[in-house]
Amino acid sequence: MTAIDAQGTVAAARARRTPRQKRDARVAYVFLAPFLFLLLLFQYVPLAMMAKNAFMDYSLLNPDAAKFVGLLNFSDMLYFDDARESLAATFLFALGVVAIVIPLGFALALFLDSKLPARGIVRTIIMLPVVTSAVVVATMWNFLLDPSNGLINGVVTAMGLPRQPFLTSPDQALVMIAIMTAWQQVGFAAILFLGGLQGVPKELAEAARIDGATKAQVLWNITIPLLSRTTLFVVVIMTVFSLQAFAPAFLMTDGGPRDSTNLIVYHIYKTAFVMQNAGYASALSVLLLVIVLGISLLQMWLLRARWNY
Amino acid sequence: MARFRKPLLLAAVLALILVCFFAPFLWIVSNSFKPQLGIFSDVTPISWRTFLPLDPVAENYRSLFARTNILHALLNTAIVAAGQVALTLLLCSMAAYALTRIKFRGSQAVFVLILLTFLLPVEALLVPLYQVVSGLGLSNTLTGIMIPWIASPFGLFLLKQAFEELPRDLEDAARIDGAGHLRIFVSVILPNVKVPLLTLGLVTFLFSWNSFLWPLVIAQSPDAQVIQVAIAQQGSPTQLPNWGETFAGATVATLPLILLFLLLQKYFTQGMAMSGIKG
Repeated sequence: MTAIDAQGTVAAARARRTPRQKRDARVAYVFLAPFLFLLLLFQYVPLAMMAKNAFMDYSLLNPDAAKFVGLLNFSDMLYFDDARESLAATFLFALGVVAIVIPLGFALALFLDSKLPARGIVRTIIMLPVVTSAVVVATMWNFLLDPSNGLINGVVTAMGLPRQPFLTSPDQALVMIAIMTAWQQVGFAAILFLGGLQGVPKELAEAARIDGATKAQVLWNITIPLLSRTTLFVVVIMTVFSLQAFAPAFLMTDGGPRDSTNLIVYHIYKTAFVMQNAGYASALSVLLLVIVLGISLLQMWLLRARWNY
Repeated sequence: MARFRKPLLLAAVLALILVCFFAPFLWIVSNSFKPQLGIFSDVTPISWRTFLPLDPVAENYRSLFARTNILHALLNTAIVAAGQVALTLLLCSMAAYALTRIKFRGSQAVFVLILLTFLLPVEALLVPLYQVVSGLGLSNTLTGIMIPWIASPFGLFLLKQAFEELPRDLEDAARIDGAGHLRIFVSVILPNVKVPLLTLGLVTFLFSWNSFLWPLVIAQSPDAQVIQVAIAQQGSPTQLPNWGETFAGATVATLPLILLFLLLQKYFTQGMAMSGIKG
Protein backbone atom coordinates (compact mmCIF):
# COMPACT_ATOMS: atom_id res chain seq x y z
CA MET A 1 0.00 0.00 0.00
CA THR A 2 2.62 2.45 1.05
CA ALA A 3 4.65 1.70 -2.05
CA ILE A 4 1.65 2.36 -4.29
CA ASP A 5 0.89 5.49 -2.32
CA ALA A 6 4.39 6.77 -2.74
CA GLN A 7 4.30 6.03 -6.47
CA GLY A 8 0.99 7.79 -6.72
CA THR A 9 2.40 10.86 -4.99
CA VAL A 10 5.43 10.95 -7.29
CA ALA A 11 3.23 10.55 -10.33
CA ALA A 12 0.93 13.26 -9.06
CA ALA A 13 3.90 15.55 -8.40
CA ARG A 14 5.17 14.90 -11.89
CA ALA A 15 1.74 15.64 -13.32
CA ARG A 16 1.57 18.84 -11.28
CA ARG A 17 4.97 19.97 -12.50
CA THR A 18 4.34 19.25 -16.12
CA PRO A 19 2.21 22.21 -17.21
CA ARG A 20 4.66 24.68 -15.72
CA GLN A 21 7.59 22.84 -17.33
CA LYS A 22 5.79 22.82 -20.64
CA ARG A 23 5.10 26.52 -20.34
CA ASP A 24 8.73 27.16 -19.41
CA ALA A 25 9.94 25.20 -22.42
CA ARG A 26 7.65 27.21 -24.66
CA VAL A 27 8.92 30.48 -23.22
CA ALA A 28 12.51 29.29 -23.60
CA TYR A 29 12.05 28.54 -27.28
CA VAL A 30 10.31 31.87 -27.87
CA PHE A 31 13.32 33.60 -26.31
CA LEU A 32 15.71 31.52 -28.41
CA ALA A 33 13.78 31.57 -31.68
CA PRO A 34 15.13 34.77 -33.30
CA PHE A 35 18.73 33.89 -32.44
CA LEU A 36 18.45 30.29 -33.59
CA PHE A 37 16.62 31.24 -36.78
CA LEU A 38 19.37 33.66 -37.84
CA LEU A 39 22.08 31.22 -36.73
CA LEU A 40 20.64 28.44 -38.89
CA LEU A 41 20.02 30.75 -41.84
CA PHE A 42 23.43 32.46 -41.84
CA GLN A 43 25.75 29.77 -40.48
CA TYR A 44 24.35 26.28 -41.03
CA VAL A 45 22.61 26.88 -44.37
CA PRO A 46 25.75 28.44 -45.95
CA LEU A 47 27.83 25.62 -44.49
CA ALA A 48 25.63 23.02 -46.17
CA MET A 49 25.57 25.00 -49.42
CA MET A 50 29.34 25.27 -49.42
CA ALA A 51 29.71 21.51 -48.96
CA LYS A 52 27.41 20.96 -51.94
CA ASN A 53 28.79 23.72 -54.16
CA ALA A 54 32.33 22.40 -53.85
CA PHE A 55 31.21 19.62 -56.20
CA MET A 56 29.57 21.98 -58.69
CA ASP A 57 30.69 24.15 -61.57
CA TYR A 58 28.81 27.46 -61.56
CA SER A 59 29.06 31.23 -61.48
CA LEU A 60 27.51 33.68 -59.03
CA LEU A 61 25.94 35.56 -61.94
CA ASN A 62 23.79 32.52 -62.73
CA PRO A 63 23.90 30.06 -59.82
CA ASP A 64 20.85 28.15 -61.11
CA ALA A 65 22.83 26.82 -64.06
CA ALA A 66 25.14 24.87 -61.74
CA LYS A 67 26.51 21.61 -63.07
CA PHE A 68 27.62 18.66 -60.91
CA VAL A 69 31.28 17.90 -61.61
CA GLY A 70 32.15 15.45 -58.86
CA LEU A 71 35.66 15.83 -57.49
CA LEU A 72 36.89 17.96 -60.40
CA ASN A 73 37.36 21.11 -58.28
CA PHE A 74 39.47 19.16 -55.81
CA SER A 75 41.54 17.45 -58.48
CA ASP A 76 42.06 20.89 -60.10
CA MET A 77 43.34 22.07 -56.77
CA LEU A 78 45.99 19.35 -56.85
CA TYR A 79 46.71 19.70 -60.56
CA PHE A 80 47.19 23.46 -60.77
CA ASP A 81 49.67 25.36 -58.65
CA ASP A 82 47.43 28.23 -57.50
CA ALA A 83 46.00 26.61 -54.36
CA ARG A 84 49.35 25.25 -53.23
CA GLU A 85 51.11 28.57 -53.84
CA SER A 86 48.36 30.56 -52.16
CA LEU A 87 48.39 28.29 -49.11
CA ALA A 88 52.18 28.44 -48.94
CA ALA A 89 52.09 32.26 -49.02
CA THR A 90 49.31 32.32 -46.41
CA PHE A 91 51.13 29.99 -44.02
CA LEU A 92 54.38 31.87 -44.46
CA PHE A 93 52.50 35.08 -43.74
CA ALA A 94 50.88 33.59 -40.61
CA LEU A 95 54.23 32.25 -39.45
CA GLY A 96 55.80 35.68 -39.87
CA VAL A 97 53.00 37.40 -37.96
CA VAL A 98 53.18 34.89 -35.08
CA ALA A 99 56.99 35.01 -34.93
CA ILE A 100 56.89 38.80 -34.45
CA VAL A 101 53.76 39.10 -32.33
CA ILE A 102 54.53 36.48 -29.67
CA PRO A 103 57.88 37.76 -28.34
CA LEU A 104 56.97 41.44 -28.72
CA GLY A 105 53.49 40.99 -27.28
CA PHE A 106 54.96 39.12 -24.33
CA ALA A 107 57.61 41.81 -23.74
CA LEU A 108 54.97 44.53 -23.84
CA ALA A 109 52.79 42.56 -21.41
CA LEU A 110 55.74 42.27 -18.98
CA PHE A 111 56.15 46.03 -19.24
CA LEU A 112 52.43 46.64 -18.63
CA ASP A 113 52.49 44.22 -15.67
CA SER A 114 55.46 46.01 -14.06
CA LYS A 115 55.37 49.05 -11.82
CA LEU A 116 57.19 51.27 -14.29
CA PRO A 117 55.96 54.74 -15.17
CA ALA A 118 54.02 55.53 -18.36
CA ARG A 119 52.30 52.13 -18.40
CA GLY A 120 48.93 53.75 -19.04
CA ILE A 121 50.14 55.68 -22.07
CA VAL A 122 51.83 52.62 -23.56
CA ARG A 123 48.70 50.58 -23.03
CA THR A 124 46.62 53.17 -24.89
CA ILE A 125 49.11 53.65 -27.72
CA ILE A 126 49.60 49.98 -28.53
CA MET A 127 45.81 49.56 -28.70
CA LEU A 128 45.37 52.31 -31.30
CA PRO A 129 46.29 50.05 -34.27
CA VAL A 130 44.06 47.29 -32.83
CA VAL A 131 40.94 49.46 -32.97
CA THR A 132 41.87 50.89 -36.37
CA SER A 133 40.30 49.10 -39.32
CA ALA A 134 42.30 46.78 -41.57
CA VAL A 135 41.46 49.11 -44.49
CA VAL A 136 42.88 52.20 -42.81
CA VAL A 137 45.95 50.29 -41.63
CA ALA A 138 46.54 48.94 -45.15
CA THR A 139 46.03 52.42 -46.65
CA MET A 140 48.36 53.95 -44.09
CA TRP A 141 51.10 51.39 -44.77
CA ASN A 142 50.61 51.69 -48.52
CA PHE A 143 51.84 55.24 -48.15
CA LEU A 144 54.37 54.50 -45.41
CA LEU A 145 55.95 51.95 -47.76
CA ASP A 146 55.75 54.03 -50.94
CA PRO A 147 59.09 53.66 -52.76
CA SER A 148 59.60 57.36 -53.53
CA ASN A 149 57.72 59.47 -50.96
CA GLY A 150 56.96 57.01 -48.15
CA LEU A 151 57.89 57.71 -44.55
CA ILE A 152 59.79 54.44 -44.12
CA ASN A 153 62.02 55.15 -47.09
CA GLY A 154 62.46 58.59 -45.55
CA VAL A 155 63.87 56.87 -42.46
CA VAL A 156 65.90 54.43 -44.56
CA THR A 157 67.58 57.21 -46.55
CA ALA A 158 68.13 59.26 -43.38
CA MET A 159 70.19 56.31 -42.13
CA GLY A 160 72.25 56.44 -45.33
CA LEU A 161 70.80 53.26 -46.86
CA PRO A 162 69.46 52.86 -50.40
CA ARG A 163 65.73 53.22 -51.03
CA GLN A 164 63.82 49.93 -50.88
CA PRO A 165 61.09 48.78 -53.30
CA PHE A 166 59.05 47.05 -50.51
CA LEU A 167 55.64 46.15 -51.96
CA THR A 168 56.81 45.99 -55.57
CA SER A 169 59.48 43.40 -54.77
CA PRO A 170 58.50 39.70 -54.77
CA ASP A 171 61.05 39.14 -51.99
CA GLN A 172 59.88 41.94 -49.71
CA ALA A 173 56.11 42.27 -50.20
CA LEU A 174 55.02 39.31 -48.04
CA VAL A 175 57.48 40.25 -45.30
CA MET A 176 56.16 43.82 -45.30
CA ILE A 177 52.49 42.86 -44.99
CA ALA A 178 53.40 40.39 -42.22
CA ILE A 179 55.23 43.17 -40.35
CA MET A 180 52.25 45.46 -40.87
CA THR A 181 49.77 42.87 -39.56
CA ALA A 182 52.02 42.13 -36.58
CA TRP A 183 52.19 45.88 -35.90
CA GLN A 184 48.42 46.00 -35.87
CA GLN A 185 47.89 42.92 -33.68
CA VAL A 186 50.74 43.11 -31.16
CA GLY A 187 48.70 45.26 -28.75
CA PHE A 188 45.94 42.68 -28.78
CA ALA A 189 48.46 39.91 -28.02
CA ALA A 190 49.92 42.02 -25.21
CA ILE A 191 46.47 42.42 -23.62
CA LEU A 192 45.91 38.65 -23.79
CA PHE A 193 49.37 37.94 -22.31
CA LEU A 194 48.71 40.53 -19.60
CA GLY A 195 45.55 38.64 -18.62
CA GLY A 196 47.66 35.48 -18.32
CA LEU A 197 50.38 37.22 -16.33
CA GLN A 198 47.87 38.60 -13.85
CA GLY A 199 46.57 35.07 -13.30
CA VAL A 200 50.00 33.74 -12.30
CA PRO A 201 50.30 33.56 -8.51
CA LYS A 202 53.01 35.95 -7.31
CA GLU A 203 54.05 33.66 -4.40
CA LEU A 204 56.00 31.30 -6.64
CA ALA A 205 58.17 34.06 -8.07
CA GLU A 206 58.63 35.63 -4.63
CA ALA A 207 59.66 32.30 -3.09
CA ALA A 208 62.18 31.72 -5.91
CA ARG A 209 63.58 35.24 -5.43
CA ILE A 210 64.04 34.60 -1.69
CA ASP A 211 65.86 31.36 -2.57
CA GLY A 212 68.30 33.44 -4.60
CA ALA A 213 67.03 33.10 -8.18
CA THR A 214 67.76 36.02 -10.48
CA LYS A 215 64.92 37.86 -12.19
CA ALA A 216 65.93 36.32 -15.51
CA GLN A 217 65.80 32.83 -13.95
CA VAL A 218 62.34 33.51 -12.52
CA LEU A 219 61.15 34.73 -15.91
CA TRP A 220 62.59 31.77 -17.81
CA ASN A 221 61.89 28.96 -15.32
CA ILE A 222 58.65 30.07 -13.68
CA THR A 223 56.73 32.76 -15.55
CA ILE A 224 57.14 31.49 -19.11
CA PRO A 225 56.30 27.82 -18.32
CA LEU A 226 53.26 28.90 -16.30
CA LEU A 227 52.08 30.95 -19.26
CA SER A 228 52.24 28.08 -21.75
CA ARG A 229 48.46 27.84 -21.97
CA THR A 230 48.12 31.55 -22.66
CA THR A 231 50.93 31.40 -25.19
CA LEU A 232 49.33 28.52 -27.09
CA PHE A 233 46.04 30.42 -27.01
CA VAL A 234 47.63 33.57 -28.45
CA VAL A 235 49.51 31.57 -31.10
CA VAL A 236 46.25 29.93 -32.24
CA ILE A 237 44.32 33.22 -32.29
CA MET A 238 47.01 34.98 -34.29
CA THR A 239 47.37 32.05 -36.70
CA VAL A 240 43.64 31.76 -37.34
CA PHE A 241 43.38 35.54 -37.71
CA SER A 242 46.30 35.63 -40.18
CA LEU A 243 44.91 32.76 -42.24
CA GLN A 244 41.81 34.91 -42.81
CA ALA A 245 43.62 38.14 -43.74
CA PHE A 246 42.24 39.87 -46.81
CA ALA A 247 42.69 43.65 -46.80
CA PRO A 248 46.52 43.68 -47.27
CA ALA A 249 46.36 41.61 -50.45
CA PHE A 250 43.33 43.49 -51.78
CA LEU A 251 44.51 47.01 -51.03
CA MET A 252 48.29 46.85 -51.19
CA THR A 253 49.56 44.21 -53.57
CA ASP A 254 46.68 42.70 -55.60
CA GLY A 255 48.17 39.38 -54.51
CA GLY A 256 51.43 40.18 -56.29
CA PRO A 257 54.13 40.70 -57.24
CA ARG A 258 54.20 37.31 -59.00
CA ASP A 259 51.48 35.94 -56.67
CA SER A 260 53.84 36.22 -53.69
CA THR A 261 51.08 37.71 -51.50
CA ASN A 262 48.10 35.85 -52.95
CA LEU A 263 46.58 35.09 -49.52
CA ILE A 264 43.96 32.34 -49.53
CA VAL A 265 40.93 34.52 -48.69
CA TYR A 266 41.92 36.98 -51.42
CA HIS A 267 42.33 34.04 -53.79
CA ILE A 268 38.84 32.77 -52.87
CA TYR A 269 37.41 36.28 -53.34
CA LYS A 270 38.99 36.71 -56.77
CA THR A 271 38.05 33.22 -57.92
CA ALA A 272 34.39 33.64 -56.91
CA PHE A 273 33.65 37.30 -57.55
CA VAL A 274 36.07 38.31 -60.29
CA MET A 275 36.71 35.12 -62.26
CA GLN A 276 33.15 33.90 -61.50
CA ASN A 277 34.30 30.37 -60.77
CA ALA A 278 32.25 29.89 -57.61
CA GLY A 279 32.48 26.09 -57.57
CA TYR A 280 36.25 26.16 -57.39
CA ALA A 281 36.08 28.97 -54.81
CA SER A 282 33.78 26.77 -52.70
CA ALA A 283 36.29 23.93 -52.85
CA LEU A 284 39.03 26.35 -51.73
CA SER A 285 36.73 27.53 -48.92
CA VAL A 286 36.24 23.93 -47.77
CA LEU A 287 40.01 23.59 -47.63
CA LEU A 288 40.34 26.78 -45.54
CA LEU A 289 37.54 25.61 -43.25
CA VAL A 290 39.18 22.22 -42.69
CA ILE A 291 42.54 23.85 -41.92
CA VAL A 292 41.08 26.33 -39.42
CA LEU A 293 38.91 23.63 -37.79
CA GLY A 294 41.97 21.41 -37.55
CA ILE A 295 43.94 24.13 -35.77
CA SER A 296 41.06 24.84 -33.37
CA LEU A 297 40.59 21.15 -32.56
CA LEU A 298 44.33 20.70 -32.07
CA GLN A 299 44.25 23.60 -29.63
CA MET A 300 41.33 22.08 -27.72
CA TRP A 301 43.15 18.74 -27.59
CA LEU A 302 46.37 20.33 -26.35
CA LEU A 303 44.49 22.31 -23.71
CA ARG A 304 42.31 19.36 -22.61
CA ALA A 305 44.38 18.68 -19.48
CA ARG A 306 44.03 21.55 -17.08
CA TRP A 307 47.49 21.55 -15.59
CA ASN A 308 46.96 23.78 -12.62
CA TYR A 309 49.35 25.67 -10.47
CA MET B 1 63.32 43.94 -14.84
CA ALA B 2 66.37 45.36 -13.18
CA ARG B 3 67.92 46.83 -16.30
CA PHE B 4 64.79 48.89 -16.95
CA ARG B 5 65.43 50.74 -13.70
CA LYS B 6 67.95 52.83 -15.52
CA PRO B 7 65.79 55.78 -16.48
CA LEU B 8 67.70 56.47 -19.67
CA LEU B 9 67.03 53.02 -21.06
CA LEU B 10 63.40 53.28 -20.02
CA ALA B 11 63.08 56.58 -21.86
CA ALA B 12 64.64 55.03 -24.96
CA VAL B 13 62.22 52.09 -24.90
CA LEU B 14 59.27 54.44 -24.42
CA ALA B 15 60.44 56.63 -27.28
CA LEU B 16 60.75 53.57 -29.52
CA ILE B 17 57.23 52.41 -28.67
CA LEU B 18 55.93 55.93 -29.27
CA VAL B 19 57.67 56.19 -32.64
CA CYS B 20 56.59 52.74 -33.81
CA PHE B 21 52.94 52.90 -32.79
CA PHE B 22 52.08 56.56 -32.74
CA ALA B 23 54.21 58.25 -35.42
CA PRO B 24 52.36 56.64 -38.36
CA PHE B 25 49.05 58.00 -37.05
CA LEU B 26 50.59 61.43 -36.55
CA TRP B 27 52.02 61.37 -40.06
CA ILE B 28 48.63 60.52 -41.60
CA VAL B 29 46.70 63.15 -39.66
CA SER B 30 49.23 65.95 -40.17
CA ASN B 31 49.52 65.12 -43.88
CA SER B 32 45.77 65.39 -44.23
CA PHE B 33 46.26 69.11 -43.55
CA LYS B 34 49.04 69.60 -46.11
CA PRO B 35 49.02 70.19 -49.85
CA GLN B 36 50.43 67.36 -51.97
CA LEU B 37 53.84 68.94 -52.59
CA GLY B 38 54.23 69.71 -48.89
CA ILE B 39 53.75 66.03 -48.05
CA PHE B 40 56.47 64.98 -50.47
CA SER B 41 59.01 67.68 -49.62
CA ASP B 42 58.63 67.09 -45.86
CA VAL B 43 59.48 63.38 -46.03
CA THR B 44 63.10 63.66 -47.15
CA PRO B 45 65.04 64.72 -45.23
CA ILE B 46 62.98 63.50 -42.29
CA SER B 47 62.51 66.05 -39.50
CA TRP B 48 59.91 67.27 -37.04
CA ARG B 49 58.36 69.05 -40.04
CA THR B 50 57.37 65.61 -41.36
CA PHE B 51 54.93 65.19 -38.50
CA LEU B 52 53.54 68.73 -38.12
CA PRO B 53 51.48 70.77 -40.56
CA LEU B 54 53.08 74.22 -40.29
CA ASP B 55 50.58 75.91 -42.61
CA PRO B 56 47.50 73.74 -42.18
CA VAL B 57 45.04 73.76 -45.07
CA ALA B 58 41.51 72.32 -45.09
CA GLU B 59 41.57 71.79 -48.86
CA ASN B 60 41.86 67.98 -48.62
CA TYR B 61 38.79 67.74 -46.42
CA ARG B 62 36.86 70.19 -48.60
CA SER B 63 37.48 68.19 -51.77
CA LEU B 64 36.93 64.88 -49.95
CA PHE B 65 33.43 65.85 -48.89
CA ALA B 66 32.63 67.64 -52.16
CA ARG B 67 34.02 65.08 -54.60
CA THR B 68 33.26 61.71 -52.99
CA ASN B 69 30.20 60.26 -51.28
CA ILE B 70 32.07 59.84 -48.01
CA LEU B 71 29.43 61.65 -45.96
CA HIS B 72 26.74 59.29 -47.20
CA ALA B 73 29.03 56.33 -46.47
CA LEU B 74 29.61 57.58 -42.93
CA LEU B 75 25.88 57.85 -42.39
CA ASN B 76 25.36 54.32 -43.75
CA THR B 77 28.07 52.99 -41.45
CA ALA B 78 26.54 54.68 -38.42
CA ILE B 79 23.11 53.20 -39.23
CA VAL B 80 24.55 49.70 -39.78
CA ALA B 81 26.65 49.83 -36.61
CA ALA B 82 23.79 51.15 -34.47
CA GLY B 83 21.34 48.58 -35.83
CA GLN B 84 23.82 45.77 -35.44
CA VAL B 85 24.62 46.73 -31.84
CA ALA B 86 20.94 47.05 -30.84
CA LEU B 87 19.84 43.77 -32.45
CA THR B 88 22.90 41.82 -31.28
CA LEU B 89 22.31 42.91 -27.69
CA LEU B 90 18.62 42.06 -27.91
CA LEU B 91 18.92 38.62 -29.52
CA CYS B 92 21.97 37.50 -27.56
CA SER B 93 20.54 38.54 -24.20
CA MET B 94 17.21 36.83 -24.93
CA ALA B 95 18.97 33.62 -25.94
CA ALA B 96 21.32 33.83 -22.94
CA TYR B 97 18.32 34.25 -20.64
CA ALA B 98 16.66 31.11 -21.98
CA LEU B 99 19.87 29.09 -21.65
CA THR B 100 20.74 30.22 -18.12
CA ARG B 101 17.47 30.98 -16.31
CA ILE B 102 15.00 28.44 -17.72
CA LYS B 103 15.26 24.65 -17.35
CA PHE B 104 13.93 22.93 -20.44
CA ARG B 105 14.52 19.82 -22.51
CA GLY B 106 16.91 20.30 -25.38
CA SER B 107 18.85 23.17 -23.85
CA GLN B 108 22.06 21.14 -24.06
CA ALA B 109 21.47 20.38 -27.74
CA VAL B 110 20.79 24.05 -28.50
CA PHE B 111 23.95 25.04 -26.67
CA VAL B 112 26.08 22.57 -28.67
CA LEU B 113 24.50 23.85 -31.90
CA ILE B 114 25.65 27.37 -31.01
CA LEU B 115 29.02 26.20 -29.66
CA LEU B 116 29.89 24.55 -32.98
CA THR B 117 29.50 27.79 -34.96
CA PHE B 118 32.20 29.28 -32.76
CA LEU B 119 34.74 27.20 -34.66
CA LEU B 120 33.62 28.30 -38.14
CA PRO B 121 35.95 30.80 -39.81
CA VAL B 122 33.58 33.44 -41.18
CA GLU B 123 35.72 34.23 -44.23
CA ALA B 124 35.36 30.62 -45.41
CA LEU B 125 31.58 31.07 -45.63
CA LEU B 126 31.85 34.17 -47.83
CA VAL B 127 30.63 32.67 -51.11
CA PRO B 128 27.57 30.72 -49.86
CA LEU B 129 26.66 33.58 -47.51
CA TYR B 130 26.62 35.92 -50.49
CA GLN B 131 24.23 33.53 -52.23
CA VAL B 132 21.93 33.30 -49.20
CA VAL B 133 21.77 37.05 -48.58
CA SER B 134 21.44 38.06 -52.21
CA GLY B 135 18.87 35.27 -52.65
CA LEU B 136 16.81 36.99 -49.94
CA GLY B 137 16.94 40.17 -52.03
CA LEU B 138 19.15 41.91 -49.49
CA SER B 139 22.18 42.73 -51.64
CA ASN B 140 22.94 46.45 -51.76
CA THR B 141 20.92 47.07 -48.61
CA LEU B 142 22.06 48.09 -45.14
CA THR B 143 20.05 45.18 -43.69
CA GLY B 144 22.07 42.78 -45.83
CA ILE B 145 25.31 44.18 -44.43
CA MET B 146 24.39 43.63 -40.79
CA ILE B 147 21.96 40.71 -40.68
CA PRO B 148 24.38 37.72 -40.89
CA TRP B 149 26.28 38.83 -37.77
CA ILE B 150 23.42 39.57 -35.38
CA ALA B 151 23.16 36.02 -34.01
CA SER B 152 26.68 36.27 -32.63
CA PRO B 153 27.94 33.17 -30.79
CA PHE B 154 30.57 35.36 -29.10
CA GLY B 155 27.87 37.71 -27.82
CA LEU B 156 25.86 34.81 -26.50
CA PHE B 157 28.85 33.36 -24.62
CA LEU B 158 29.81 36.68 -23.11
CA LEU B 159 26.28 37.31 -21.84
CA LYS B 160 25.69 33.69 -20.80
CA GLN B 161 28.74 33.94 -18.56
CA ALA B 162 27.47 37.19 -17.05
CA PHE B 163 23.95 35.82 -16.50
CA GLU B 164 25.30 32.70 -14.78
CA GLU B 165 27.05 34.82 -12.20
CA LEU B 166 23.78 36.42 -11.06
CA PRO B 167 22.37 34.78 -7.90
CA ARG B 168 19.05 32.90 -8.10
CA ASP B 169 17.59 34.88 -5.17
CA LEU B 170 17.45 37.87 -7.46
CA GLU B 171 14.59 36.49 -9.51
CA ASP B 172 13.03 34.28 -6.82
CA ALA B 173 11.55 37.28 -5.03
CA ALA B 174 10.12 38.58 -8.29
CA ARG B 175 8.68 35.16 -9.12
CA ILE B 176 6.92 34.92 -5.75
CA ASP B 177 5.39 38.28 -6.56
CA GLY B 178 3.98 36.65 -9.68
CA ALA B 179 6.33 38.09 -12.30
CA GLY B 180 6.62 36.11 -15.54
CA HIS B 181 9.78 35.44 -17.53
CA LEU B 182 9.48 38.57 -19.65
CA ARG B 183 9.15 40.77 -16.53
CA ILE B 184 12.09 39.04 -14.84
CA PHE B 185 14.20 39.34 -17.99
CA VAL B 186 13.52 43.04 -18.50
CA SER B 187 13.38 44.39 -14.96
CA VAL B 188 15.50 41.96 -12.92
CA ILE B 189 18.20 40.45 -15.14
CA LEU B 190 19.03 43.17 -17.68
CA PRO B 191 19.59 45.99 -15.13
CA ASN B 192 22.18 43.77 -13.42
CA VAL B 193 24.34 43.12 -16.49
CA LYS B 194 24.92 46.67 -17.71
CA VAL B 195 28.70 46.32 -17.92
CA PRO B 196 28.68 43.10 -19.99
CA LEU B 197 26.05 44.68 -22.27
CA LEU B 198 28.22 47.77 -22.70
CA THR B 199 31.28 45.61 -23.40
CA LEU B 200 29.47 43.53 -26.01
CA GLY B 201 27.98 46.68 -27.53
CA LEU B 202 31.42 48.24 -27.93
CA VAL B 203 33.03 45.16 -29.45
CA THR B 204 30.08 44.79 -31.84
CA PHE B 205 30.34 48.46 -32.81
CA LEU B 206 34.07 48.10 -33.48
CA PHE B 207 33.54 44.95 -35.53
CA SER B 208 30.71 46.51 -37.51
CA TRP B 209 32.43 49.86 -38.16
CA ASN B 210 35.64 48.18 -39.32
CA SER B 211 34.20 45.31 -41.35
CA PHE B 212 35.27 45.36 -44.98
CA LEU B 213 35.20 42.09 -46.93
CA TRP B 214 31.52 41.34 -46.37
CA PRO B 215 30.24 44.88 -47.22
CA LEU B 216 32.60 44.84 -50.22
CA VAL B 217 30.88 41.81 -51.75
CA ILE B 218 27.28 42.39 -50.64
CA ALA B 219 26.91 46.19 -51.02
CA GLN B 220 28.86 47.65 -53.93
CA SER B 221 26.32 50.26 -55.03
CA PRO B 222 27.15 53.83 -53.98
CA ASP B 223 23.83 54.10 -52.12
CA ALA B 224 24.62 51.27 -49.71
CA GLN B 225 28.37 51.76 -49.46
CA VAL B 226 29.91 51.84 -45.99
CA ILE B 227 32.94 53.86 -44.98
CA GLN B 228 35.57 51.11 -45.25
CA VAL B 229 34.52 50.26 -48.81
CA ALA B 230 34.39 53.95 -49.73
CA ILE B 231 37.92 54.72 -48.54
CA ALA B 232 39.27 51.47 -49.99
CA GLN B 233 38.21 52.78 -53.38
CA GLN B 234 40.21 55.94 -52.95
CA GLY B 235 43.11 53.91 -54.18
CA SER B 236 46.79 53.41 -53.64
CA PRO B 237 49.62 55.93 -53.99
CA THR B 238 50.34 54.89 -57.57
CA GLN B 239 46.74 55.01 -58.77
CA LEU B 240 45.71 58.20 -57.10
CA PRO B 241 47.70 61.40 -57.24
CA ASN B 242 45.96 62.98 -54.27
CA TRP B 243 47.62 61.72 -51.10
CA GLY B 244 46.16 64.41 -48.84
CA GLU B 245 42.58 63.52 -49.70
CA THR B 246 43.20 59.83 -48.97
CA PHE B 247 44.74 60.75 -45.63
CA ALA B 248 41.74 62.94 -44.86
CA GLY B 249 39.46 59.98 -45.65
CA ALA B 250 41.45 57.66 -43.39
CA THR B 251 41.31 60.24 -40.60
CA VAL B 252 37.56 60.72 -40.91
CA ALA B 253 36.97 56.94 -40.97
CA THR B 254 39.08 56.33 -37.86
CA LEU B 255 38.42 59.34 -35.66
CA PRO B 256 34.98 58.27 -34.32
CA LEU B 257 36.37 54.90 -33.19
CA ILE B 258 39.51 56.35 -31.62
CA LEU B 259 37.43 58.86 -29.65
CA LEU B 260 35.07 56.15 -28.47
CA PHE B 261 38.05 54.00 -27.54
CA LEU B 262 39.72 56.77 -25.54
CA LEU B 263 36.46 57.46 -23.68
CA LEU B 264 35.65 53.84 -22.82
CA GLN B 265 39.07 52.24 -22.97
CA LYS B 266 38.57 49.94 -19.99
CA TYR B 267 35.49 48.24 -21.46
CA PHE B 268 37.02 48.10 -24.92
CA THR B 269 40.12 46.33 -23.67
CA GLN B 270 38.03 43.94 -21.58
CA GLY B 271 35.86 43.13 -24.55
CA MET B 272 38.82 42.64 -26.87
CA ALA B 273 40.45 40.32 -24.33
CA MET B 274 37.25 38.28 -24.15
CA SER B 275 36.77 38.28 -27.91
CA GLY B 276 40.02 36.33 -28.00
CA ILE B 277 37.86 33.34 -27.23
CA LYS B 278 36.52 33.60 -30.75
CA GLY B 279 39.83 34.13 -32.46
